[in-house]
Amino acid sequence: MSRRAMEQSRRITDSFPRRRRGPGRPPGRLKGKNKITKDKDKEKEKVQVKVRECPRPPSQPSPDPALLEMLRRFDLSWEYGPCTGITRLQRWERAQELGLSPPGPIRDALLEHRDNPDVTYSLWHEYEL
Amino acid sequence: AGGSVLRGAGAWDVRESVQGLGPFGKGTPTSHTMFSEQAAPMAQGLLAPPSAEPPTFPRVPVSGYSDCSQPFQLGERGFSRQYAHIYAVRLAGMRPGLERRARSLWGNGIALRKLSELQAGEKCCVVGTLFKSMQLQPSILQEISEEHNLVPQPPLPKYIQPSDELILEDELQRIKLEGAIDVQRLVTGTILAVYGCEQDDGRFLVEDHCFAGLPPPLPWNGPSSDRFVLLASGLGLGSVSGEALLSTQLLVDVVTGQLGAEGEQNCAAHITRVILAGNLLSQNTQSRDTINKAKYLTKKTQAASVEAVKMLDEILLQLCTSVPVDVMPGEFDPTNYTLPQQPLHRCMLPLASAYTTLRLVTNPYQASLDGVRFLGTSGQNISDIFKYSSMDDYLEILEWTLLAGHISPTAPDTLGCYPFYKSDPFILTECPHVYFCGNAPRFQSKLLQGKEGQRVLLVAVPDFSATQTACLVNLRDLSCQPITFSGFGADSEDGDMEVGH
Repeated sequence: MSRRAMEQSRRITDSFPRRRRGPGRPPGRLKGKNKITKDKDKEKEKVQVKVRECPRPPSQPSPDPALLEMLRRFDLSWEYGPCTGITRLQRWERAQELGLSPPGPIRDALLEHRDNPDVTYSLWHEYEL
Repeated sequence: AGGSVLRGAGAWDVRESVQGLGPFGKGTPTSHTMFSEQAAPMAQGLLAPPSAEPPTFPRVPVSGYSDCSQPFQLGERGFSRQYAHIYAVRLAGMRPGLERRARSLWGNGIALRKLSELQAGEKCCVVGTLFKSMQLQPSILQEISEEHNLVPQPPLPKYIQPSDELILEDELQRIKLEGAIDVQRLVTGTILAVYGCEQDDGRFLVEDHCFAGLPPPLPWNGPSSDRFVLLASGLGLGSVSGEALLSTQLLVDVVTGQLGAEGEQNCAAHITRVILAGNLLSQNTQSRDTINKAKYLTKKTQAASVEAVKMLDEILLQLCTSVPVDVMPGEFDPTNYTLPQQPLHRCMLPLASAYTTLRLVTNPYQASLDGVRFLGTSGQNISDIFKYSSMDDYLEILEWTLLAGHISPTAPDTLGCYPFYKSDPFILTECPHVYFCGNAPRFQSKLLQGKEGQRVLLVAVPDFSATQTACLVNLRDLSCQPITFSGFGADSEDGDMEVGH
């Protein structure tokens, strides 16, 4: 019964079978006797997977949308030069060295959220050159 | 083939007049001593029996060398950036200096405008990057475009045409230029300030323009006695003909003091350094026929540059045992293609790199020798400007790059360049004392005086494999003289072998 309660929050990906392979198991179809025990393993894995869902270290608070908006505006302001191909911190430091006086809060925000790729990389980071 | 027959004493002929001034900074009008004048009184020793005690001439000790080419040394290289960054930092870095110069030339009250703030008819000054749109400029896109079906354009000596146009770009916009500006002479990538007004048809009518000008001077700490630096470039090893090898060996012998009587050896002992400015290997080592052949045919063939590098190693070994040598890579040397070229790797020169006197340096190269600041390249920047400008004289182009405040404005447009993003290391921030470029077609030198007290010796170092000429720079008074080596070949009428300077 407790298992059913935990399964209340369902995702669309639940309709696809989740397979977690052990470290020594090669990919491919399982033959013979392992088939019967497979279903029980799948259900157990589904439950375990939900508990294990959070990959990000919980020490960093996620940046709020206002901060991301400020960083996007920093990317799009033409005074500090092109923004593609370099991290936002590199662009901030370059603007500082050229004497263009970029705003200080942006640097603090960049250093605070150093691990978050949405913060460190520019708006067009995902696009190839 | 004969041995080395030297001319008798007193017959040293001066090939070219020395260009330089008297002692630097002092009031006494004593004449400077040329390399050969010191030798002449003691040249009687050639016809005398050897002295009981063979004299030794210790080379002047190395004092005050510091390498200033850190901006040209790249550590980890990443090419996933566009070139917009280097143009942006070039403009941002040179803008303050240009605005100052514009105010000093055209008055303090002139209006400095960005292109987006221009109003038709208003006289103002704009600072921006120049772009020259040339019809003949080789374009890779045109070559591979299928609808044109063009055969690739053969390389031309000059790509200028009367129909070329100049366009000024700043951070946001661009505008066509016309008026008092020499379209043929200027090249893409130059940062300049134009004074004029915008016309109704959208073009900018230029009344006057200016460049960054000579950079601020460096303090002079030069030596008080004669010290020479030998500049040579274009040794061209690995070429098909062996003629140049004899001249190269003569050069090495003069520098290491194995040539001439005691007088010449005494003079050679005053050479404190040798700088080889690029193209140590000949263009023949770059043969690309093996690239298109099948692998099984080319498996056992050795690249032509392997033999040439072995010869270079032996020559450098002879030089390094006696004098500090700085080796700069050039266009045909085994290093990267884009500027700044990184130093040759020491694993290619196993014999010579055992000596600490060998320094493998970058191209461009900047160093302070005995208080005199040297800055120079192997000539790719000058020859690239030569192709896209109406200027024909290498020394004139060299002077122009100094006055424009940038070593190589055509990079990255037509000359390969590393995609810098933080700062442009080719901007000239201080005025060097000696500014040279290698692989020029002939020897030229000039002493340039600036308004703020700058004194620069401009040297166009000739291609040694073609001209057999090297340059001797006297650090005491910034004078420069060529030194030519020639041998006699099978078809040469001249019977004597000469070392003239």
